[in-house]
Amino acid sequence: MFETVLKALLEGFGKSLEIFALTLLGALPLGLIISFGSMSKFAPLKVVTRAVVWVVRGTPLMLQLIIFFYGPGLIFGTNIWGIGSQGRFIAVIVAFVLNYACYFSEIYRGGIEGISRGQYEAGQVLGMNKSQVFFRIVLPQVVKRIIPPMSNEIITLVKDTSLARIIGVYEIIYFGEKFIKSDGIIWPLFFTGVFYLLFSGVLTLLFGYIEKKLNYYHN
Amino acid sequence: MTVLEIKDLRKSFGKNEVLKGISFKVEKGEAVAIIGSSGSGKSTLLRCATLLETADDGSICYKGKYLLKDKVYAEKDELKEICSSFGLVFQNFNLFPHMSVMQNIIEAPMLVKGISREDAEARARDLLSQMGLSDKENAYPCELSGGQQQRVAIARALALDPDVLFFDEPTSALDPELTGEVLAVIKRLAEADMTMVIVTHEMAFARDVAEKVIFMDSGVIAEEGDPKELFYHPKTDRLKAFLHNANI
Amino acid sequence: MKKILALLMAAFMLTACFAGCAKQDKEFDSDMAYVKDKGTLLVGITDFAPMDYKDEDGNWIGFDADMATKFAEELGVKVEFVELADWGKKIMELDDYQVDCVWNGMTLTDEVLKGMETAKPYCKNQQVVVVKKDVADKYTTKESLKDLSFAVEDGSAGQDIVEANGWTSTAVPKQADALTEVKSGTSQACVIDLLMAGAMIGEGTSYPDLVATVSLTEEDYGVGFRKGSDLAEELNKFFKKCYDDGSLMDVAEKYGVQKTMVEW
Repeated sequence: MFETVLKALLEGFGKSLEIFALTLLGALPLGLIISFGSMSKFAPLKVVTRAVVWVVRGTPLMLQLIIFFYGPGLIFGTNIWGIGSQGRFIAVIVAFVLNYACYFSEIYRGGIEGISRGQYEAGQVLGMNKSQVFFRIVLPQVVKRIIPPMSNEIITLVKDTSLARIIGVYEIIYFGEKFIKSDGIIWPLFFTGVFYLLFSGVLTLLFGYIEKKLNYYHN
Repeated sequence: MTVLEIKDLRKSFGKNEVLKGISFKVEKGEAVAIIGSSGSGKSTLLRCATLLETADDGSICYKGKYLLKDKVYAEKDELKEICSSFGLVFQNFNLFPHMSVMQNIIEAPMLVKGISREDAEARARDLLSQMGLSDKENAYPCELSGGQQQRVAIARALALDPDVLFFDEPTSALDPELTGEVLAVIKRLAEADMTMVIVTHEMAFARDVAEKVIFMDSGVIAEEGDPKELFYHPKTDRLKAFLHNANI
Repeated sequence: MKKILALLMAAFMLTACFAGCAKQDKEFDSDMAYVKDKGTLLVGITDFAPMDYKDEDGNWIGFDADMATKFAEELGVKVEFVELADWGKKIMELDDYQVDCVWNGMTLTDEVLKGMETAKPYCKNQQVVVVKKDVADKYTTKESLKDLSFAVEDGSAGQDIVEANGWTSTAVPKQADALTEVKSGTSQACVIDLLMAGAMIGEGTSYPDLVATVSLTEEDYGVGFRKGSDLAEELNKFFKKCYDDGSLMDVAEKYGVQKTMVEW
């Protein structure tokens, strides 16, 4: 029995990890782009970006999943996701990436705005162009500042992957519950917690290591 | 040879006109001190000359090349070339905290001028020894005192071999006991005929080091000339009052 | 060493808590005595018209809700409805004493019969296939369904049927979600209860363009209690009494479910 459960949970956890990894891959760069939008000097872009961030951060991810997946079919009469598991998975990734990019963008924004004017000016006077100043001077300092809030969000993401089953993407909790429904046994559901704990434990260690690595200077 | 010529420079922040037509020249090898009370426009003048602020009117010319001429700034490529002729040392040093002393100094020469790492490092070691900081090349700014940080900042600016080096109140952020080491470095640069424009509150230093002193008041140059002449025989009431308050 | 000790303590406390939860019934001779002693009957339900749903004032009504209220009166206790967050965990809710019975148009599946003490079935329901109206003509026989992609409520009788036939399906949390799948086009068909279909699709609902086509199986609805509870037998007696005096059919007619009722 244990073997059957473990196999099923591993399969589900694989899906959870896929959602986790792809979301990070998309949301980390997209968040930076969104943060530029919300700091833009071009007022319309800034207003629109901040409105999007407000809506995305102001509504539950669960609702966003439902709207992203069912919305096109229900509101416009065209289901853009097709039929089958692949479309569901893509919808999950799209919703997760957008949601997390908005959260990340605010963290980036806080980090970037925390860098003093003098750092930009020093770079400029030394003849660096804007992208050199950003990537060589600003971004490395931003990374150090945002590691603690980022690690919080990223560990939240690990647990948020469990929302995917709402639109029929079978992650680990789904498989855990499956055993209650099919065999009337509960422990597999509780056991899923072990997977989450182990994974977030690994992440906590990893972020601790990165923080320590970046501790060679302070501002 | 004239390294810098500024003519009728004007700058306003909103309705507040900070620079009301400033004109002066800096010759090669000359050390010029700019004095004046806070709010007189000294820092804004320096920031306009180094392109950190955009001037409203007038002209700025480095070695015959116009950075700004009659409200019009030079084209991007030319701008970049002109910018390489000056350096700036900030009041708050503005070292890059995530880089070691060595990295701080070689970053721009390598990135902007395309100098090889070996050459950049050799030049940096030379500058650090001039600054008396040879043992600090692997230290990070947070491990240095304010005076040491400012000397690194001076080395960083010199690494780009500017024709003129601006100092924006280089000792104002330092504890009194640390100002001496920074002023000594600047004095040695002056003796080596480095062209410099120094905004400062250190009157004795301005008097002893500068070849020319400019006194600014309310956005205009109220008086300028030989330091001893200016300090011992001020012509205007405003300078008299300023020197009286400065306790010299 | 201290760490290991702390860990052991934590594990011990956790075990003690679980054991404590399960011990409750030992203090009473029977489940009925336990319910009478605390004075309330906790009825596990979901929003499932016409069996259990809320009226305009927010009170639970419906065929099951009304009968449960009457049964509580018979026992001399108050009735309290507990909305189950997850239908799939209904047996767990009973075993944890979160509810005393599950009374919600529950299909007597093997899982339910195994995990609960059930009263005799009181209602015969059907599992029906729901598709969009404009394609309904194409799907009138069971044979025509085999290439469809189904949405089913996770852990429902409909899911069992679809899986038994080897059809492609996606499990969603609720029956209403299965209907949403069909309406939005992310699934081509779903399998839900006839009772549910009667209340939720067609004119005047959010799903006017869906229709029920093929009926797949008949199934029995029953009320479930904790394993070994004497309340199941008590409920059988109660249903018989209500059937005989006509009050059961009165309630059934009130909610339009009289055709699905069984004889007692």
